[in-house]
Amino acid sequence: MNRKSGNLVSEKVMLKHKMSAAKNLLRFLGATAFVSLGAAALNFVVDPLQLFRPARLFAAMYSPDSRMQDAGLVRSQQFDTVFMGTSLAIHFRQSDIDRLLGVKSLKLSMTGSTSHEQSFVIAAALERHPKRVIWQVDDWIFRDAAEVDQDIYLPADLYRRNIKGVAGYLFSGAMARESAWIMARSIPPLAPLVARLTNGVMFKFPISRVDDINILRPEVDVHEAYNAKRTADAFRSITDPVRSVYLAEGYQYEAMVKNFETDAVGLIAKNPDVKFDIYFPPYSILQWVAMRDASASMLQLVYDFSAYAARRVAAFPNARLHDFRAIAEVTHDLGNYADVIHHSPAVDMKVLSWLAAGTYAVDRATPLASLERLKAQVAAYKAEDLER
Amino acid sequence: MLFNSYPFIFLFLPAALLGYFALGRFGNLLPVIWLALASLAFYSFSNWQFVGLLLGSIAFNYFIGLLLIARRLRAGTRFAVLAIGVAGDLLVLGIFKYAGFLAANLNALFSTGFSVKVLLPVGISFYTFTQIAFLVDAYRGKVAGYALPPYALFVTYFPHLIAGPILHHRDMIPQFERSESKRPDPHLILCGLIIFAIGLFKKTCLADGIQPLVALAFGPNTPSFDQAWIGALAYTFQLYFDFSGYSDMAIGISLMFGIFLPLNFNSPYKARNIIDFWRRWHMTLSQFLRDYLYIPLGGNRRGPALRYVNLMITMALGGLWHGAAWTFVIWGVLHGLYLCINHAWSNFGPAIGPRVAPAANLAAFALTFLAVVVAWVFFRADSLSSALYVLSKMASPSQIAFGRGEMADGVFIAIYAGIAWFAPNTQTIMGYDHANRTVGGALDGSRLRPLFLYATAAVLAFGILGIQQYSEFIYFRF
Repeated sequence: MNRKSGNLVSEKVMLKHKMSAAKNLLRFLGATAFVSLGAAALNFVVDPLQLFRPARLFAAMYSPDSRMQDAGLVRSQQFDTVFMGTSLAIHFRQSDIDRLLGVKSLKLSMTGSTSHEQSFVIAAALERHPKRVIWQVDDWIFRDAAEVDQDIYLPADLYRRNIKGVAGYLFSGAMARESAWIMARSIPPLAPLVARLTNGVMFKFPISRVDDINILRPEVDVHEAYNAKRTADAFRSITDPVRSVYLAEGYQYEAMVKNFETDAVGLIAKNPDVKFDIYFPPYSILQWVAMRDASASMLQLVYDFSAYAARRVAAFPNARLHDFRAIAEVTHDLGNYADVIHHSPAVDMKVLSWLAAGTYAVDRATPLASLERLKAQVAAYKAEDLER
Repeated sequence: MLFNSYPFIFLFLPAALLGYFALGRFGNLLPVIWLALASLAFYSFSNWQFVGLLLGSIAFNYFIGLLLIARRLRAGTRFAVLAIGVAGDLLVLGIFKYAGFLAANLNALFSTGFSVKVLLPVGISFYTFTQIAFLVDAYRGKVAGYALPPYALFVTYFPHLIAGPILHHRDMIPQFERSESKRPDPHLILCGLIIFAIGLFKKTCLADGIQPLVALAFGPNTPSFDQAWIGALAYTFQLYFDFSGYSDMAIGISLMFGIFLPLNFNSPYKARNIIDFWRRWHMTLSQFLRDYLYIPLGGNRRGPALRYVNLMITMALGGLWHGAAWTFVIWGVLHGLYLCINHAWSNFGPAIGPRVAPAANLAAFALTFLAVVVAWVFFRADSLSSALYVLSKMASPSQIAFGRGEMADGVFIAIYAGIAWFAPNTQTIMGYDHANRTVGGALDGSRLRPLFLYATAAVLAFGILGIQQYSEFIYFRF
């Protein structure tokens, strides 16, 4: 009898413990859900990317991470012209584009971007029905690369605004941190202090004006950053036998043509009402000389690809190609560059004025004329006397 | 499949738990089979092409084990069977992990032009080691007969399959055979969730958070003195929080199934000497190397000189186990050297008086940490030359950037160091006692402090909110 009642007591104690643990488990899960939903609510209200609405309650802030930021910009900004490119088109100011071309532009350039990424982002922007796309195109962006859904740097679902993308945005701790920061920055007594503490190292949204996204930082000494010595040093570095093998990495003609057809031609053909101004940027002549000296076959491949691209673009009435690669007064002046390809803000301005005037627009009847001029320049250039 | 992914947390894990406990009502065998199948599904999610290899390895080792356990073989035959088993395991490991490395070295020496490219099956190093231990113990007569399902589960058990801890059959199989673990225990599930939360937070918030700083030293740009140190220290903490985070998550997940996994970390950066460090870092690997390599080599039983030789061999092979590259071998050799110096100092060094003991302890702690950081440079670098390059920058104080970015990075590093050096570790927080199979004693029942409960719930929430993109664990590649 005693043993029976003892067992009953022990069973009751066990059951009580289990009930208590079960309650704590539910409390724990409830609290986890509460914190997660709180973070999502904060992200929804502040909406750092302005994905749901333009910033009204809180000051708009922008991120230099253009692959992420562009997803919000294509929703929140008013524009009639899309400006796309790689790092060669990253420092342009929208206000300069607007002033010189008489448009209302949206810069979506992404450093190191592939043609898949660029085409995908332009397509997202085209849903807002702009009239024009200005597209800085490098040959290397058409090399084979991960498709956007396998691309860990581009939040493709955020552009699509599907459940996965929106949930990823709302249930993001990093975004909640930015939301809290933007919220604090909008509280008047805290605003000056928070603004002073805001920098790109600690926070992803340090830019307060859309025009300032990824412009050359004001503290950069342009003469220090862009000069002939740096360009020559960069040339020597990429032509060093140890590194020069990387110059030809990933170049395959068939793959590049296929990607060009899918990412560029496909977009142009699908949007006959949109005017596409595609331009080949003015690399320094040393970029071509480096290819010439490191791998003649690769240089020929790039020439062939250029020729193909020029002919294909010429076939579309809504597309125009501008070729700035053979403008010797710019490309041979090494003082215009920070390395063998990246040109100075002064050249940015020239690019815009050339685009506005159509100075170097390729004639549809002779689409390869500028390429032939470039070939002659490259063949003639001697790199022996570069500044040390 | 990654522990730090939404499909795992919200689909796979709840389904595996539900199936396990639901089948627990029908006996002891079905849940074991379910868990083994779930583990294979987990593995096949991203490594489907190697499921056959895994199953073949299980079948091969189980068969060899059966021969060693069940058959009355003569001593010579038993040894031959063991040799075939171990050689078979090492051959497979060698083909998949080291063939490319061997070919590259032969090519470098003799310009053969011969190259081998073999995909590395994830987790092969871990499941090979666990099974070699099983065979050796079977040979030593320390293994009772195991049925196939618990054995297969022991090898495939998904919390440990991909990156450890390295399990021991004597620890695990009896747990799989216990009927108590087949009934849901809310206390164990709660404690498991909290341990999982701490691990997830370590991975998604701490390790992934500091990862961009690593590129300062190991990225394409030439680092200055301070950038090289920031990068090396960032990797030191990234690796710790990544791997210990993974181990915590494995322990936490397993606890939800009522299974206690061995500890793998015990605040290694608090170590005061290298011997102590290796008792705290990747503890299950250290134990494996000690029991199945160092001691069979002779350990310290054949005089001090051979002890040092054995230490060097053990650590060099331990380095090679991590990866087929000379950087890992050098990392292992460096630690072997550290251990030899440590043992020599213990035997022949001066005695430390009580008055200077605090200062000596501090110096020993700093020196140990410094030695570990230097060795990690080899572990992280892509090649010996880039490791030496980073080390040369760490030794060149003439070039210092120390801009606003470096200052902010320095604050980050200090916070991480503070956590690694001064915060209690997961097992201390949770009272996790692997040997006695107890956990959360202080948190049990009515004594559970609500603040702790809600704080850890917030940690889980932050861990989940920190999941941003596909972020593999560093030890997946070993």
